[in-house]
Amino acid sequence: MTLITLANVFKTYRHGSLEVPALVDFSLVIDSGEFTVLAGPSGSGKTTVLNLVGGLDRPTSGTVTVDNLDVGGAPAGILADYRLRRVGFIFQSYNLIPVLTAAENAEFTLMLQKVPRPERRRRVVALFHELGIAGLEERRPSDLSGGQQQRVAIARALAAFPGVVLADEPTANLDSHTAEELLDLMRDLNTRRGVTFLFSSHDDRVIGRARRVVRLEDGRLASDSAAHR
Amino acid sequence: MSALAYAWRSLWRNRRRTLITLTAIALSIMIVQAFHNLAIGIYARMIDDGVRAGSGHLAVYRNGYLESREEGLSFLPGDLAKQVRAIPGVSRVLPRIYLPALAQSSSDSRGILLVGVEPDAERAVNPFLKKLPEDGMLRDLDGRDAVIGKRLLTDLKLAVGRKLVVTAQHRDGTLHSELLRVRGVVETGIAEVDGSLLMVGRQRAALLAGMSGEIHELAIILDRADDDRRVFPALAELTGSRPEVAAVSWKEAMPNLANAIKLDYAGQKFIFVIILLIVTIGVVNTLLMSVMERLREFGVILALGSSPARLRRLVLLEALLLGLAAAALGSMLGSLFTWYLVDTGIDLKNFVPENMEFGGVVFDPVLRAAWDLVWMVRIALFVTGLTVLAAFYPAVKAGRITPVEAMRHS
Ligand SMILES: Nc1ncnc2c1ncn2[C@@H]1O[C@H](COP(=O)(O)OP(=O)(O)OP(=O)(O)O)[C@@H](O)[C@H]1O
Ligand SMILES: [Mg+2]
Repeated sequence: MTLITLANVFKTYRHGSLEVPALVDFSLVIDSGEFTVLAGPSGSGKTTVLNLVGGLDRPTSGTVTVDNLDVGGAPAGILADYRLRRVGFIFQSYNLIPVLTAAENAEFTLMLQKVPRPERRRRVVALFHELGIAGLEERRPSDLSGGQQQRVAIARALAAFPGVVLADEPTANLDSHTAEELLDLMRDLNTRRGVTFLFSSHDDRVIGRARRVVRLEDGRLASDSAAHR
Repeated sequence: MSALAYAWRSLWRNRRRTLITLTAIALSIMIVQAFHNLAIGIYARMIDDGVRAGSGHLAVYRNGYLESREEGLSFLPGDLAKQVRAIPGVSRVLPRIYLPALAQSSSDSRGILLVGVEPDAERAVNPFLKKLPEDGMLRDLDGRDAVIGKRLLTDLKLAVGRKLVVTAQHRDGTLHSELLRVRGVVETGIAEVDGSLLMVGRQRAALLAGMSGEIHELAIILDRADDDRRVFPALAELTGSRPEVAAVSWKEAMPNLANAIKLDYAGQKFIFVIILLIVTIGVVNTLLMSVMERLREFGVILALGSSPARLRRLVLLEALLLGLAAAALGSMLGSLFTWYLVDTGIDLKNFVPENMEFGGVVFDPVLRAAWDLVWMVRIALFVTGLTVLAAFYPAVKAGRITPVEAMRHS
């Protein structure tokens, strides 16, 4: 079943009179349950695609549709709710909130959703267990390793049971061993929970672990390992 | 975790800056509370001294007397004094006669104000008469004893125990004279009073002017100055049946003192406003800095799905917590400071001439505060509100962050 559709998307950034094309006539369809990596050199438009799918940015032209929502055209209030309930974000630099404990960080979206406290805690404890960070609930991010922090970030992204998890270079700040572990973890979650993953990476070893590889070059689709469909 | 916990911990992210801001707000609350209480204490004391030496918290006059001081405008108190005394909150009722007269000693003469009073009642409230020795006060209503202003005594080259003659106009138009003997001397510190006051028993004064039973003023002393709002209506009801008399408060009877206090407090209020304004600007600065330092974090929170309104509320909540903490600390300090000012006070004896006069009233050189708890709470809440208000611009700024920009640039 189709989950994400980008159709003839152009995204142009403007620097005064200078126009920077980030995406040029880019189209992509992703089914629910896929595990897709966006690959490509720096500046090729990976982050731009993720931002568009996540409703953080709007296309200059073309349409972005996720789960039948016109993400490119929806009003800001709808988009905030879309991000809150249907998308999980994982960032390159983890972006945990330093004054909150690991568990509190993971609960953050649930708090925004006004899920009652015991339910929040129950879900987060289960997730921590699943992600191999049980026992670290009360630590502050500064007392966690990079890999542990990113696992907490994954817990935060998954806590609200989103339909899709978007991750922009989730392993770029981790050593390769930890990166591979983390990727296996994500793939495992993808298999067992059926969560759709769309992430970007530079790292060939990480890219090699994806089920589908979409390559970008200069804002255009260069290749798609699932092109045969 | 709750929004409250997030806001509280965020506040302490930059511990030093928050402490400095908190202290600044708290100190401003302390200063405003303590100095307000000091002013209230000083005014209360001045009003108290003023009304006790002067025309009381409330007074009843024949219509027109207050404006003209025409001695013909007297009235028969009848049962009024007794009825007024029965009103709850009334401490004393003092009937008085005021007569312009001429005083002559063997060597000199002066124009004076002859005041006819009820000695016992008057001595109980008047701070200057209280100071007189036992044998320095008038003994009865119709005796020939006189209590005289210090300067008048010197001007007339008199001494205690010496005789003098006062002459005033009788109701029948002729001049009447009485022989009096100096029994006590008062010094109020107000030149005009010390140079012209001559106090005698009320009946002796009435006899001189031929106004038996009538008086010019019924001065009323209350238990508490701020009881006047309760007592005044009851008094107005009593005088309502007698259209020729009217009740006034000390503010009308002593407009100089009332205006001096009003003016003094206005000046103080102006300083309060400036202090609070400066502090508010500092708070805006701190909050703005704390928002600008967290652009990335706010970008993440927005990306995670918080609405901008929600984020704005988080920033406002931080300011509210800061304000409440400052209000608590400031009120504590303000209470300590006030307590000191109530208990010990500020002794001006070493700084100023012996007598301090303000609005026609002399007051004690030890300044003491009085508790105004309602106002203290009100100012603490007001400053808390100001702190939240100061957060509006930073909050709006936080709500305008776009996640993409915020995360790209940091
Ligand atoms: N907010 C922006 N303003 C201006 N130009 C931008 C902005 N965001 C991206 N770009 C430009 O758009 C192009 C695509 O950027 P994007 O960040 O999507 O690339 P990327 O594939 O994620 O690169 P990297 O691997 O370095 O993260 C680049 O040329 C970039 O400079
Ligand atoms: Mg990128």
